Amino acid sequence: MTQRLRARFSAVSVFAVVGALALGMIASGPANAAISKTTLVVGMSADLDYLDPAATMDNAQWKITYPCYQRLVEYNGASTDVVPGLASAWRISRDHLTYTFTIKSGQKFSDGTAVTAKAVQYTFERLLKVAKGPADNFTAIASVRANGLKTVVFVLNQVSPQFLYTLAGNYGGIVNPATASKAVNGDSGQAYLADHTAGSGAYVLTEWKKGQYLKLEQNKFYGGKKPVLETVLFKIVGDASSQRLQLGKGEIDIAEGITSDQYAAVAKEDGNTVINKPSLTVDIMYINSGKGNAALKNTLVRQAISYALDYQGIMAATQAGNATQMNGPIPDGMWGQDPKGFQYTTNVTKAKALLAQAGVTNLSLDLLYSARKSWWASEAQLIQDNLAKAGITVNLKLTEYATARKMIDAGTFDLCLGTWSPDYADPSMFMNFWFDSGNFGLAGNRSFYSNPAVDKLIRSAASITDQKKRTALYIQAQKIVVEEAAYGYLYQMNYRLALRTDVKGFVYNPMIEQIYNLETMYKA
Amino acid sequence: MLRLIRARLAMLVIVLFGVSVITFLMAHVLPGDPTAALAGPHPSQETLNSIRSQFGLDKPLPVQYFKYLSNLFHGNLGTSIRSQQPITQEILAFFPATLELVTVAFLLAIGIGIPLGVIAAVKKNTFSDYVIRLFAVGGVSIPLFWGGLVMILIFYAKLGWLPASGRLDIELSSPKTITGFYFIDALFGGDKETFINVLKHLVMPSLALGYVQLAFIVRQVRSSMLDALSQDYYLTGRANGLSHKFLVVRYALRNALIPSITIIGLSFGSLLGGAVVTETVFDWPGMGKYVTDSILGRDFPAIMGFTVVIALAYVIINLLVDLLVYSLDPQTRK
Repeated sequence: MTQRLRARFSAVSVFAVVGALALGMIASGPANAAISKTTLVVGMSADLDYLDPAATMDNAQWKITYPCYQRLVEYNGASTDVVPGLASAWRISRDHLTYTFTIKSGQKFSDGTAVTAKAVQYTFERLLKVAKGPADNFTAIASVRANGLKTVVFVLNQVSPQFLYTLAGNYGGIVNPATASKAVNGDSGQAYLADHTAGSGAYVLTEWKKGQYLKLEQNKFYGGKKPVLETVLFKIVGDASSQRLQLGKGEIDIAEGITSDQYAAVAKEDGNTVINKPSLTVDIMYINSGKGNAALKNTLVRQAISYALDYQGIMAATQAGNATQMNGPIPDGMWGQDPKGFQYTTNVTKAKALLAQAGVTNLSLDLLYSARKSWWASEAQLIQDNLAKAGITVNLKLTEYATARKMIDAGTFDLCLGTWSPDYADPSMFMNFWFDSGNFGLAGNRSFYSNPAVDKLIRSAASITDQKKRTALYIQAQKIVVEEAAYGYLYQMNYRLALRTDVKGFVYNPMIEQIYNLETMYKA
Repeated sequence: MLRLIRARLAMLVIVLFGVSVITFLMAHVLPGDPTAALAGPHPSQETLNSIRSQFGLDKPLPVQYFKYLSNLFHGNLGTSIRSQQPITQEILAFFPATLELVTVAFLLAIGIGIPLGVIAAVKKNTFSDYVIRLFAVGGVSIPLFWGGLVMILIFYAKLGWLPASGRLDIELSSPKTITGFYFIDALFGGDKETFINVLKHLVMPSLALGYVQLAFIVRQVRSSMLDALSQDYYLTGRANGLSHKFLVVRYALRNALIPSITIIGLSFGSLLGGAVVTETVFDWPGMGKYVTDSILGRDFPAIMGFTVVIALAYVIINLLVDLLVYSLDPQTRK
């Protein structure tokens, strides 16, 4: 090489060499340390907001709080039935207005103090005083009183057949009354419990590094069987591709952020497996018959829309087929579902005929959706295409989620995409929320649907406790709301989760989706 | 110089007031309800009203604003609606991470960018100049998220040299907070393993972010340097027998840096508020992600807190840049 040529290269190459050397020095050794068998690392897509059981309404936060608190009753494994939890037994009065629970002995909070009936009273009085989302599920409570150390009595102001099930929800977690001393400016300890846990569950939150991870460690005073997993780390890995790479390298044991299109490939990779089970989450289309386009008041038009939809095509494109078409509002797996319920099938000719019968031509509708669910954009396009074949023009209105929520509440849309999952194992979560004309907007009836006959049936069903009679009433109501196509009943989704094959003992319960039974999970 | 500092500090008050008014109005004009998360997916109207009342959102806007301003004067940025934590505490948790990333990226960009810019100008239209310019064009034209992903694919997935995300391996404890910069804190703490681990985590995000700045600096310095080299004083110096190297280092570079410093300095401020893509790709727990989530959740106090802090940072950086220019350029002292 000539001196002249060397000079040309020297200035640039010196930087490259120095850079490469520095990188090499730093990069020597493995990128990450190995994870022990008693530590579980869960990769989650986003950091959490707050963890107070009296305030949080999000399953993502519940995955932290659920194993840190105990509830009076608990879901039984994979079943939607409830069994004794913190309460060893309970008695229900003949009029179904008084519930008396006996607290199990030997249960302690993470600070070593005993769980007493007073703690239960404190928890529910606090929850109602805080008056955030969870309080909406306990409006039936008239009073809650501790009767001695071991007995607690709930008196209801109305018959509430779902009451027992609401106690198994995250908001039923019993909070240590000692947290009352952490209250600031009369906030009932909300600021403290937003980033601390104070329960009697198997785990306790010991560290929350914002934007990085949350660490759970065993509650040494836990009254149940000692879990195998000593530490559970919830690591924030926002990017789906990074989660997939880290799962493949065994740096995380569970990857929650895998996208729909990646599951098939992830399942084929060595050391990975994918759980794929039917959930109780449904994907639906609100058809605004109350405040939307006037044509939507006509049942024939709503039926035409329901016949125009290509259900199989939508499920294939948005969920890679991991979904089941709904046959009415109540999903399969929830009691009260009409097993012989009518299911709309794609029939464009019939859709056109129904529109002609309704005397509706040149119908143009706005379809509202947000980017909150990754599949909604393609779902909206498919619906636009489906309805175009029946002669209905659909204008896609992609709107930022917070704004879309406001619009849903106000009813300023014609059609809108939404998902729904039950808070507790009771069909009222679908029937009464979706169809009661006193529940318009965000509260649940997002189609602004009103039918006095349906109101009567579902209100009766919600006011009695006999499950057989309730089922009969709900089936009658289902027949009407399906016939009248109050919603676009699209599909029931599957729950999918990618994890390492050495993670054992995970039990999926559709009522507590995204929540792990850490107490009985282990790594082989 | 004192007069300059006084004037800048007076401007700080005006800027902060203006920023707080504009942000407050913009945040409140946007449709959407910050209490949505607390109210749950299907809230009753009573619950929505109760939560809005708890956060004072049912009060008229001027009342809300003056309450905010009064708290601000007492150093209280308010409480986040989303997390229910004091905003100051939240910013202290996230801001050091961004500042660390941006500072390292910036130092890399300056340390490499200025010499490359000078070389490109001095060796104008030579092979070195072409290579450097090509390198610089890459920095401004390769999308940051794509460059970041490619780096992850090579250095993490294929070679296994560097970690893909975060500031520190999850199994390691964070160094004791002294400055908030992990690499400095780990160094002071004498924990070699943590220090090396922190550096490994810093390499990819700071290179990805720094490359964009580097490209910008190279182009800016090259251009200023070419301008300086065409000035009369350079030609006179050469005519009087002074060496090219002496003139470049002693005169041309100094003059070329003056316009560059102003622009480069201000770009540091914009990086503080705009490192969101890098933070997202590398899961860097900084302010970018925090403020994006706050905007999406309509968390007014958090949005306001972030804006005030960034505005403050801008004014301080501006002041530092002015002081630097003041010391470098005798003309500004007149």
